[in-house]
Amino acid sequence: MALEGTLRDMSLGDLFQVFRMGPKTGVLLLAHEGERGVIYVASGQLVDAALARGAERSVVAAQDEAVILMLLWDDAAFTFRHDPAIAQRPVRMLHDAEWLVLEGMKRRDDPTQALPYHRITLDTQLQLSPLPSSAESGVSLDVNQWRILSQVASCPNLRTIGNATGMPPDRLTRIVAELLAIGLVEVVPPPRPEPRPRERRDAVMALTNAGHLNPALVGVAAGEVNGTDDVRSQHVGRSLLDAVMRRVRGL
Amino acid sequence: MQALKIVITGSYSAGKTQFIRTISDIETVSTDYAVTLDEERALKQETTVALDFGTIAINDRLNLYLFGTPGQERFDFMWEHLALGALGYVVMVDSCRPAHFAETQRLMERFATITDAPFVVAANKQDDETALPLAYVRRRLGVPFEVPVLPCSAFDKASVKQVLLGLLRQIAAQVST
Repeated sequence: MALEGTLRDMSLGDLFQVFRMGPKTGVLLLAHEGERGVIYVASGQLVDAALARGAERSVVAAQDEAVILMLLWDDAAFTFRHDPAIAQRPVRMLHDAEWLVLEGMKRRDDPTQALPYHRITLDTQLQLSPLPSSAESGVSLDVNQWRILSQVASCPNLRTIGNATGMPPDRLTRIVAELLAIGLVEVVPPPRPEPRPRERRDAVMALTNAGHLNPALVGVAAGEVNGTDDVRSQHVGRSLLDAVMRRVRGL
Repeated sequence: MQALKIVITGSYSAGKTQFIRTISDIETVSTDYAVTLDEERALKQETTVALDFGTIAINDRLNLYLFGTPGQERFDFMWEHLALGALGYVVMVDSCRPAHFAETQRLMERFATITDAPFVVAANKQDDETALPLAYVRRRLGVPFEVPVLPCSAFDKASVKQVLLGLLRQIAAQVST
């Protein structure tokens, strides 16, 4: 089995964070148009990398530069396979993953492109990431990154961080993208929507062409359990739940 | 005979059918049909179009019913149907397929509008060495702090039991408050 996806689903920066959190050991293979990248990971650290191009697979970059070039790809298919043998490979990288991610962000015209599933606006709310103990980082932040990081806990969104630091929005967004990319901050999840009022079972049944289902199941599936329309509207006693828990534990 | 209902939901190919098969007392009832879309057929050959159904007999007067929802969004009219009257629900997600996170997020948002029942997230395939860590799954799905994200291996009965117990604890906490 393997971890598979595209960089649109999961950025390279996120993959590096996950390798450290694991910590993971294995090989990350990337395919981007006519290019192929390979990154070797041992105990969560990047140890070697190469970037090849063309049918003959000629190596165009290796180690740090190869990773930075891969960080500039907006999309690529990736596969990460566990391989304990990688732990025996010599370390050829000069810098750690966070340094490389920040370097890649600096080389991008629009660093938010590196985070396709985070839409950063002035209303975006941030929180500090709860870094696991295995994810010690040697990353060195610059003054502006520190200024923003110091405001995250006390400011509800980017707008107020901008007001507090006097930083213009485009610069603020760029630095927040960098902090997100190396996993020091997270976007606060939106609040859960309010459930809309329960519709009558009949209305729900009418929406559903259940004719092809086993008739014995249709009523139960539609909430006709415990002899009522909605078992949750009745009091489900703690003793009943305890009985269910005991049974599940005993399975 | 009394019945309690729990719903197992999640995106396409998250492991819902296997989850129910692993824990059910009975041979599960499935409504699987051949997958028609090429990109979906690459993941599996058959998919659930209406529901999966399994039971756990609690005692001679009470059954726990497990209903699995269809994973593909074009069958989402069944979600509302199945969520009605559920004590709680499990949202399953494949820990090795980040491509499914966006769909799972949409599903969670949709379920939140359908029901206020308690839920847990089961991160399937956590037995795989390459599986994404629970903390990352939580972050990407935007799961609130108070909702547990539990490790799961849908083929492993002990693991499935722990997910169900996690959900039952959430339900019990709501009953107590």
